[in-house]
Formats: sequence, structure tokens, C-alpha cells
Amino acid sequence: MNRDKILFLAFLGIFAIINIYLLATNSLPTDSTGFGTIVAAGITLSLYSFLYKDNPLFKFTENLYVGVAAAYTMNQVWYTVLLADVLNPTFNLNNQTGGTNEWLLIFPVLLGIFMLTQLASDKINWLSRIAFAFVVGLGAGLAIPRTIAANVLAQMQPSMQPITADLAGFNLFVILIGVATVLIYFFYSVEHTGAVGVASKVGIWFLMISFGASFGYTIMARLSLLIGRVGFLLETWLTLQLPLF
Amino acid sequence: MKDFLINLDRRIIFIFVAVGVILPALTTFPLPIKPTPNVRAVYDTIEEVAAQNGTVLISFDYGPGSMPEIQPMTLAVLRHCFSQNVKVVGMCLWPQAVGLVQQALDTTSKEFGAQYGTDYVFLGFKTGATSLVINMGRDFHGTFPQDLQGNTTTDLAVTKNISGLKDFDYVVCLAAGNTPDGVWIPYGQERYKFKFGIGCTAVMAPDQFPYLQSGQMNGLIGGLAGAAEYEKLINTAGTATDGMRPQSVVHLIIILFILLGNTIYFLYDRKKGGAK
Repeated sequence: MNRDKILFLAFLGIFAIINIYLLATNSLPTDSTGFGTIVAAGITLSLYSFLYKDNPLFKFTENLYVGVAAAYTMNQVWYTVLLADVLNPTFNLNNQTGGTNEWLLIFPVLLGIFMLTQLASDKINWLSRIAFAFVVGLGAGLAIPRTIAANVLAQMQPSMQPITADLAGFNLFVILIGVATVLIYFFYSVEHTGAVGVASKVGIWFLMISFGASFGYTIMARLSLLIGRVGFLLETWLTLQLPLF
Repeated sequence: MKDFLINLDRRIIFIFVAVGVILPALTTFPLPIKPTPNVRAVYDTIEEVAAQNGTVLISFDYGPGSMPEIQPMTLAVLRHCFSQNVKVVGMCLWPQAVGLVQQALDTTSKEFGAQYGTDYVFLGFKTGATSLVINMGRDFHGTFPQDLQGNTTTDLAVTKNISGLKDFDYVVCLAAGNTPDGVWIPYGQERYKFKFGIGCTAVMAPDQFPYLQSGQMNGLIGGLAGAAEYEKLINTAGTATDGMRPQSVVHLIIILFILLGNTIYFLYDRKKGGAK
């Protein structure tokens, strides 16, 4: 038996002993809440076991999560979309539309079904192109003007304000230099030598600072998730009254 | 020793991080939490809405994977709204958020005695994202004829006078994905010009700052630190405030490891091209 197998069995054994102790001392209730807490703790520890090495527990938990998430999403979509927005109004199942059936809803439903024919045989999968054409056309029509307005024009406007002799003006100046030099860095039609080379190097510095800020925030985010799980393990599973000292 | 440091096993760093999280969680020591202007802006706007007895729409767009970061924000913002008698309409662009939000609404409404239908309404999840927001702007009751419980929105006190997004005094998006800048700003705020603020995961926060500068959003609660600042503003310490101790300690550990790694690299290993 190699070291990994011993560690694996030891982990399972310690986990079982801790849970038996928690249940025996009534720290965890012997009902569905207690069982749910034990399952959640086990899943959390199984996922973090990947930090040591890839292992069967991690694989099992990863696949379990995908399955549960898909089932939960299907459940939500069924009750809040398919049933509430399609079946009930189309066939007037809950009699809330004044006794009328909204037959027009059949057309978008048909488009949805056409999309699924992509998974069917070659004889009928051409129908999916109608649905995709509709989605692409609608998506482009909605996205292009909205994206230009919100993400380009509205973003350019504050960068083009008059630079004043105060802190706000200085900030604006820094942003202006950043925008101009980063744009020069990504301008590949001119060789990056001389003044253009200097400007593109300044652009690289702005990009590096931006990546650093993003990385710092990413560390904070990932740690927050770890802190959340550790808090769950200590307080909810092990039922410790924090702070201990 | 030199080889050990140059090729340091990453699992040693993990142990340091684990100890850095667990020990500060077991103990307590005061750390100053100072609300930043971006977080205060969301708080102040909700105070303004409270002064005019208004209604806030909160879009909860997150899931269990981002729960430790966003759920404290959800609780803090809901506590603030209910304590000030601000009416709340909740909705989700992510289906995974429904259960988490229901839990948060149940907890906070009980704390402040908020009544369903008169103080708050939960619409649940609806698919469509972009088209949903566009339709909400034009015809709120047509888009959400019923709430999650099956009540007709034209009959509920909170929603009966809402005809479109413009009728909300403030729209807040608590998100773990691209819904603020990918959905709410281009298809909602830019089109219907309502006041808009967000709370988001720390990973997303740097990408949202341009929208603050452009005025497309007026406030930003970024990550667990932002949630802790909001908890400070409402004087209710929660999991975000508690999380600041381990967060600060582990940040110090990571900074030390970065300094150590770079020092070793410059002292011993630069010419050889790095660790093996």
C-alpha cells in the first residue's frame, strides 16, 4: 500500500470518527440538516484535497457538482420559464389570461425546438439554422448599437473632459496618458521605435499595473471563498463557538 | 537549503495559507474598516431612496460558487433596506441564486418584520438576460406577470405602480458574472437612465471602475472587503467583517512569499532561468 492510499484511508477514517463524535454528542442533529452539513463538509474537504494531488474523491465531487447544478438549473427553468411563460399562457392552464390561449407563443417555442434538431439526424438538423439565424440576427441587432453606446461612446466621454489644475484633473491626465499609450502599444502598423517605442513602453507599464491590480483583486476573491468554506467547517460542521480566544 | 528554497513545494505555501486563514478565524483582534467612497455611494443612495419612501430593484446574479463573497453583501444591503423601510423587488438573472436569495430574504425580513407583498417581493429567475432587461424597461408587468410564489404583480403593493425600470428609484446588481457591464448597463441603464449601483466579486471589480468614472454606475461594493465596509456603514458586523482578519493575515503571507521568491530569484537563480 503506497503513501497516497494510506493518506486517503486515513482521511476517510478521521472524517468518519469526527462525524460519529459530532452526532453522538448531539453537536450535529441526527436529521436531514445534520446529514446535509456532513455531506457539505465532506464535499468541501474532497474538493480541497486536490491541493495535495488529483484523486478519486475530487473527481467524484467535481462530477457531482456538475450534475447537481445542471439539475437545479433545469428545475428553475422548468418552473419559472417553461411552465410559467410557455405552457400556462399557451394552453391557459391556470386560467389567468382571461380565458384566452396565447397561441402566438408557439412560434418562439418552435424556434427553440428547431435549435435542438442540431442534435438530431442530418435529415432535419437544417431546421436549426433557422433558429440560429434568428438568434444571431436578433443578438447582433441588439448588441451592436447598445455596446457602442455603453462601452465605447460613454467611456470616451469622461476621458475627453478639460484637464483642470486639481487632483481630479491630475487623475484625468493619468487616464488620458494611459489610454493613449496603451492604444499606441496595440498599434502594430508602425514600427515601435523612437517616440512610438517610448510611448508603447509606457503603455506596457500601464498594462502591467492594470494586470497587477487585477491579480491582487483575484487573490482577494479566491481567499474570500476559502475563508467562507473554512468558516463553514469551523462553525457549522465542527460547531465551534468563534472566536475561541 | 538553496535548492529547497528555489524549488519550494507549492503545498508548503498552501499550509501557510491554511494556517493564515484558520488561526485568525479562531481568535479575534480589531482591524480598522474604513468605508470607501464607492461603497458609501451605494449606502447614501439607499438612504436617499428611504427619504422618499421609494423602491429598490435588486438583481441577484450569483451562485453558490461566489456565495462567501456576495451573500454578505446581499444580507447587508437587504438589512439596510428593511431597516429604512425601503421597498425591495428582488430578481435573478442566474437560476442558482434563487435559493440563496430566498434564504437571505427570509432571514432579514424576519429581523425587521418586513412583510411579503407590502415591503418586498421576490420575482425569482427568468431567462433571457438582455431581452428580459429591455422588456422590463418597457413593460414591467408584462415581463413579470407573476412573482415566484405565483402572485400577480399588478396586485402586490410593492409592484403594482411599477410600469418600467424608470419607476425604480435605484437599481442594484449583486453579481458574480458579467451581468452589470454586459446586461444591465448596455441594455438597461444606458437606455432607461436609472440610477445604478453594483456589488460584485473582487475578480470583477477592476473591470467595473471605468463605468464608475463614466457615471454609468454611481457606486461599487467590491468583494468581501466591500461587503465588510457596507457592514460597517450599517453597524452590523457579519461574516464579511469576520473575514477581514484572515484576509489581511493571508495577504501579508502572500506578500512575504512574493518578496522571498523574488529575492531568491535575484540572488541565486536569475542566470539559470528559474526554478526546475
